[in-house]
Amino acid sequence: MSLLELNNISYNYDGKKNVIKNVNYSFDKGKVYAITGRSGAGKTTLLSLLSGLTAPTQGEILFNNVNIKKINKYDFRSRYVGVIFQSFNLLPHLNSVENVELSMRASGKKTPNRRQNAEEILKKVCLDDSLAKRRILKLSGGEQQRVAIARAISYEPEIILADEPTGNLDSATQDEIVSIFKSLAHNDGKCVIIVTHSPVVAKAADEIFELAPLK
Amino acid sequence: MIIQNALKSITRCTGRNILIGIIVLVISVASCVALNIKNAAAQAETEGLSNIKITGQISLDRQKMMESFNPEDAASGERNPENFRDMFAENTELSLDQLQTYASSGNVEDFYYISTAALNAADDIEPFSESSSEEASEDTAEAETNNPFAEGMPNGGMPGGQNGGMMQMNQGDFTLTAVASESALTDFINGTSKISSGTIFDVSTADNNCIISSELAAFNGDLAAGDTITLANPSDETETYTLNIVGIYTNTSSTSDSNGMGMRFSTALDPANNIYLSASSLTAIAANSESVGTTSTDDYGRTTSTAITTQTQGTYVFADVDSYNAFGTELTSLGLDENYTLTSNDISSYEASLVPLQNLSSFATTMLLIVLAVGAVILIVINIFSIQQRKYEVGVLTAIGIKKWKVAAQFVTELLCVTLVAVIVGAAISAAVSVPVANTLLANQISSQQTQQQSVNDNFGRGQAPAGMPNAAPNNGGGNPMMGGRGDMFNVLQNADANFVDKINAVTDFYTVLQIILIGVVLTIISSIVAIIFIARYEPLKILANRT
Ligand SMILES: Nc1ncnc2c1ncn2[C@@H]1O[C@H](COP(=O)(O)OP(=O)(O)O)[C@@H](O)[C@H]1O
Ligand SMILES: [Mg+2]
Repeated sequence: MSLLELNNISYNYDGKKNVIKNVNYSFDKGKVYAITGRSGAGKTTLLSLLSGLTAPTQGEILFNNVNIKKINKYDFRSRYVGVIFQSFNLLPHLNSVENVELSMRASGKKTPNRRQNAEEILKKVCLDDSLAKRRILKLSGGEQQRVAIARAISYEPEIILADEPTGNLDSATQDEIVSIFKSLAHNDGKCVIIVTHSPVVAKAADEIFELAPLK
Repeated sequence: MIIQNALKSITRCTGRNILIGIIVLVISVASCVALNIKNAAAQAETEGLSNIKITGQISLDRQKMMESFNPEDAASGERNPENFRDMFAENTELSLDQLQTYASSGNVEDFYYISTAALNAADDIEPFSESSSEEASEDTAEAETNNPFAEGMPNGGMPGGQNGGMMQMNQGDFTLTAVASESALTDFINGTSKISSGTIFDVSTADNNCIISSELAAFNGDLAAGDTITLANPSDETETYTLNIVGIYTNTSSTSDSNGMGMRFSTALDPANNIYLSASSLTAIAANSESVGTTSTDDYGRTTSTAITTQTQGTYVFADVDSYNAFGTELTSLGLDENYTLTSNDISSYEASLVPLQNLSSFATTMLLIVLAVGAVILIVINIFSIQQRKYEVGVLTAIGIKKWKVAAQFVTELLCVTLVAVIVGAAISAAVSVPVANTLLANQISSQQTQQQSVNDNFGRGQAPAGMPNAAPNNGGGNPMMGGRGDMFNVLQNADANFVDKINAVTDFYTVLQIILIGVVLTIISSIVAIIFIARYEPLKILANRT
């Protein structure tokens, strides 16, 4: 049994032209997946479907063999998946720790030392205390990206979705981030799905899913 | 979590919250001041009278009498002028006996009365007149021959005349005012009149002792206590009465101000020509006059007498407004005809004094409604702008799995906190400014009220000094229609002197603060509804997609 299964899903934004058509795929625990494809192939759209931000117009997505339609989409997003958005989507009026803490609280998980926990997670993605207390807008793109990663993994979701997480990073940082993802999959048994253009990142993945653009 | 997020958001997004806070602050200060004014005005209206004694009088309500009166003959259906005369003959002011019967009511604390009669001067005295003494004597002479009230008028007074009953005494040179108790001498009690030499007469004996005004004394060559004066029946100059002066009184209420109009109709109406004596003395005079008087029958078959007639005006004293009102209702059950009404100058002048306050109160109500309406609109608009600014925030919060209702609740909580702080600060500010603001506004109302009355007075020609007024006698000829409306004009005159309530205690009380908080909560809810509608429509996917 796969953790996440796509059964013949299609999706369109406008009710006419399909962006994704008849996709079948399954994702397992403990593996890193790379989704590749040309720009406009529908990678981000696929991640939106996997994260429950929207529902497929056709077919079904099974999470632990349960159609995610039957799971409250807010609970699904706040507990079972962690999303690293292409544009990070952090709250600018909060600082790094507070952004991480917010997701931890939203998940409803009981963590006694939440702040401390959040700071540790930030350290894991190489953000020290002074950066942790800095407002989001005063962080560089790479630092914001790492806050977004920290937020996505903070509540220990089973699935981690990342939309071009290494796009803004130099190769050294990119390697660091990739190793974090690998460790999450191989040591913590998470299912990590990364959308990427980078052949280096794709090569590091356990499986590559090439999304062909529709004609 | 909601509250925590809200508080964080408030402290982080100060610009927006300060803007909302200032608007709510302005709304709450304005509405708090308005509410304070309304409350204080309402309080002044209800409590202002509760602490003072009320005096009231029973009088014939001519207007009511006219309304219920049918001038047509029951049989023929024709209008018959005779019916009017009958009506006025049947309905006269109450007699002393009747007045005293009602005075036994438990609601009445005290009862006193004055009886008045008009008498003419005999040889040894002249009525005081502000014109030169030559003219004065001319006036007197004219009054005897030309006075329209002395001749040709049936005793019942004229139809429509507000003070018909009072008019008979206008014909004389002097007004004899008789009292049976010192409490009836209200002018001496409130201090407008004062005995300057001699003493007051004994109110209970029929000794013909009297007190006269200092003006009258001076006008007649310094009359003093111990002198006597002789007065005559206006209808029969041979019937004379001698009064002993026991005291001279001064009247500090200036005779040359607002009553200038009244004294011109007859010298008897000049306060200087007012002679006080005991009720027993006047009763004896009236009884004597009755016995020597002759009666005649006019063309309409009605009898008139040459005897001196007296008018009695009773005054009931009530401990408070409630007793006054209770007495008013009780009168009907005691069998008083519905054409008589209980009225109180205290209450009507108090009501007149409240006019600026009531104007201010309705101004405050209007202000309150406008402020609330405009405030609500502004808050809604600001909320629409702010929620659109916060679209991204809504997208992020819902994308990380926070339910929409929680996001909405957070936003409403933020608004509510800002509103509450602003309202409390607003209540504190208005607590400080309400009293001065209310009193300034009230002062404006009073001066505009006074300006209005001044212009009314000017229109009636009352604004000038009495010296500039036309002489009395020529005016009397055309005076009839004027006299009919005189009662009304005197009311206006009284109002001009009304002692307006010029201070109100517009303090912020706990109840007002609660009301303001309630207003704040309602405004928050109204403007939040917009936010909630927007949040409900937002889809995180679209918001976040638009951003990239
Ligand atoms: N919110 C949207 N509304 C309508 N069309 C969209 C929206 N987002 C993406 N698309 C379209 O869907 C297709 C796939 O987009 P996307 O999934 O973002 O591609 P990728 O991430 O692979 O570059 C594109 O043609 C894009 O124009
Ligand atoms: Mg994309």
